[in-house]
Amino acid sequence: MSVDTAIDNRTVPAHGTAARRRKPANRRRLWPFLLPSAIVCVLILLFPLAYALYLSFFSYYLDSGASTFVGLGNYTDLLGDAAFQASLGRTVAIVASAVGLEFCVGLAVAWGLYQLTFGVRTLNLLIFLPHIITPVVAALFLKWIFAGRWGLLDSVLAGIGIFPPDWLGDPMWARIVVVLADAWQFTPFMILVLYAGLNTVDQNQIEAAQLDGANNRQILLRIMLPAIRPIVAFVLTMRMMDAFRYFDTIYVLTSGGPGSATQTLTMQTYALAFRLFQVGKASALGVLTLLIVLMLAAALLFILGRRRENTE
Amino acid sequence: MSTRRTRASQMLLLLSLCLFTAVMLTPVAWAFLTSIKLPIDAFAIPPKLVFTPTFEFHQQVWMEKGFARFLGNSLVIAVSTVVISVSIGTMAAYGLSRMQGKAARGVLFGLLSLRMFPHMLLAIPFFLLAKFLNMVDTYPAMVLALVAINQPFTIWLMHSFFVDVPQEIDEAAAIDGASEWQVFFRVVLPIVRPGLWVTALFSLLLAYNEFLFALVLTGPHTKTLPVAIAEYGGEDLNYWSLSAAAAIGIMIPIMAFMAFMQRHLVRGLALGAVK
Repeated sequence: MSVDTAIDNRTVPAHGTAARRRKPANRRRLWPFLLPSAIVCVLILLFPLAYALYLSFFSYYLDSGASTFVGLGNYTDLLGDAAFQASLGRTVAIVASAVGLEFCVGLAVAWGLYQLTFGVRTLNLLIFLPHIITPVVAALFLKWIFAGRWGLLDSVLAGIGIFPPDWLGDPMWARIVVVLADAWQFTPFMILVLYAGLNTVDQNQIEAAQLDGANNRQILLRIMLPAIRPIVAFVLTMRMMDAFRYFDTIYVLTSGGPGSATQTLTMQTYALAFRLFQVGKASALGVLTLLIVLMLAAALLFILGRRRENTE
Repeated sequence: MSTRRTRASQMLLLLSLCLFTAVMLTPVAWAFLTSIKLPIDAFAIPPKLVFTPTFEFHQQVWMEKGFARFLGNSLVIAVSTVVISVSIGTMAAYGLSRMQGKAARGVLFGLLSLRMFPHMLLAIPFFLLAKFLNMVDTYPAMVLALVAINQPFTIWLMHSFFVDVPQEIDEAAAIDGASEWQVFFRVVLPIVRPGLWVTALFSLLLAYNEFLFALVLTGPHTKTLPVAIAEYGGEDLNYWSLSAAAAIGIMIPIMAFMAFMQRHLVRGLALGAVK
C-alpha cells in the first residue's frame, strides 16, 4: 500500500537495502524483545477486534442480554436502512468538505510560510496550538463561539445589528460548524506536513523555473505540488481516514443533532451501542465503516498515484 | 533565496499570516477572557474587552468542583500508560529494527493498519470485556486500553530512532561479550535517550487527550478530565466562566508540552501522535 511506503520512505530511510547488504546475523535472539508488546497487541487489540467481528453476526441486546445468531442479518438490515444511507452520505459530505478545506487553506498557509523570511518558527508554533489541545476542550472553545445569543459570534453580530442564525440548531449551519471545527483542529496539521514537504523540494528546480519566467502561482502548482505528491497523497489519505472516525468534537458540539443533521457513521455506531445497547448491530456498523474507509482510501491512493504517472 | 521577494511583499505576507493566526487563536483567547470575567461581563452584549479580571473561577473549579480529583485520575492513568507502553514498545521497536528480512516490515505495516482502525469498533468489545471482567471504572481497564492503542505509534516512532543507530555498534558490543539484553539496555538505549523522551511525551499527550475510551470505560471513581469537562461544559451556559476556567486549566500543560517539544513536532505528528 502506498500510504505505507510514503511513511516508510520518510521514517525508515534505506533500512531495507542496508540490512540486506550486511551479512545475516541469524545468531541473534531478538524475539524475546517483541514478546511483551506482542502479548498486549494480541490480547487487547486483535482479540477485541475479532470479538467485534464475531458480535456483528449476532442480534445482541446488552440490556436484556438476549442474543441470537443472525448471520449476515445485521449487515443486510443496515445496507437497506435509510438511516444508514443518510449517515453515510452525510459522513462523506462532512469528511470531503473538511479535508478539502483543510488542504486548500493548509497549502496556502504553508506556501506563505515557505516564502516568509523571518518569524516562521513563532507563527508555526502559534498556528499549531489548536491541533494539540484536548479535542473535547477544543470543541467547547468553538461551542462558546457559536453558542446562541451569548457566544462571541452572536454577540458581535448583535452588536452591529445583524440577526444571527441559530448556528448549532439549524441543520445546515450545524453541519457547517462541524466542518469548521474539524478544519480548526486539523488545518495546523496540514500546514505542518505540507510546509515540511515544501522544504524538501530541490532549490535548483525552483530557480530554473524562475529563470524561465514562472510566477509564484505557477511555481506552487506546477513545480512544488507535483514534487511533493507522495506527501500530499499520504496526508490526504491519513486525514480522510481520521476524519471518518471523528467523534469527540461532534459529541460535544451537537451530539449528532439537531435531529440527525450531524449524525455521522461514527456517531450512529456510538448511539446504537451505548444508547440503544444493540451491540451486535453496532459492531456490524463499525465493520461496515471500516470497509468503506478502506475502499475510499484505496480509491484515493489510486487516483493520486495514477495522476503522478501521467504527468511524468 | 530568490522566491523570497521584496520587503513590501514580505510585510504583506507577514500581515496576512498574522491575521490567519489571530483568527485561529480567537476561540482560545475568547475562552480565556470568559474564564476571568464575572458573569455580568461574560454575558455583556457586545462583548467587553475592558473589565476587571478575576481568577476566582480558576480557583473555584479546581478547589471546590472536584476537578483536582479528575486531574489526579488523568495523571494516574496517563503516567501508568506511558510507563508500560513506552517500555514494551521500545523493546519491540528495538527487536524489529535489528531483525533481517521481510517479517519485520510485515509487522510494522500490520501495526500501521491497526493504527488506522476506527476506535469506535474497539470501544464496543472493550466495554463488553471490561463489564464481563468487572473492570469498568477501574484504572487498569483504562490503562490497558490506552497501552494497546498506543503500541503502534510508540513502536513506529521508536523504530525510527533505532534504525538511525548503526548495527556495527551492537556487533562491537557483542564481540566484547555483552548479552543481547546488555547490548540493548547498556549500549543502544542510552544512544536513543532523546528519542525516548520524545516518544514518552507524545504518548503522555495521547493518553491525556483521549476521550472515547474514557467515556466508555471510566466512571465516578476514575473519571478523567476530558470526560469531566465534556459533562460540565456541555450543559447550559450558567456556569460558563467556571467551565471556561476548567477548559483553560486543562490546556495549560499542553502549552508547556508544545513549547518544550517544538523541534520534534513534525516527526511525532506525521505519525499521528495526537488523535
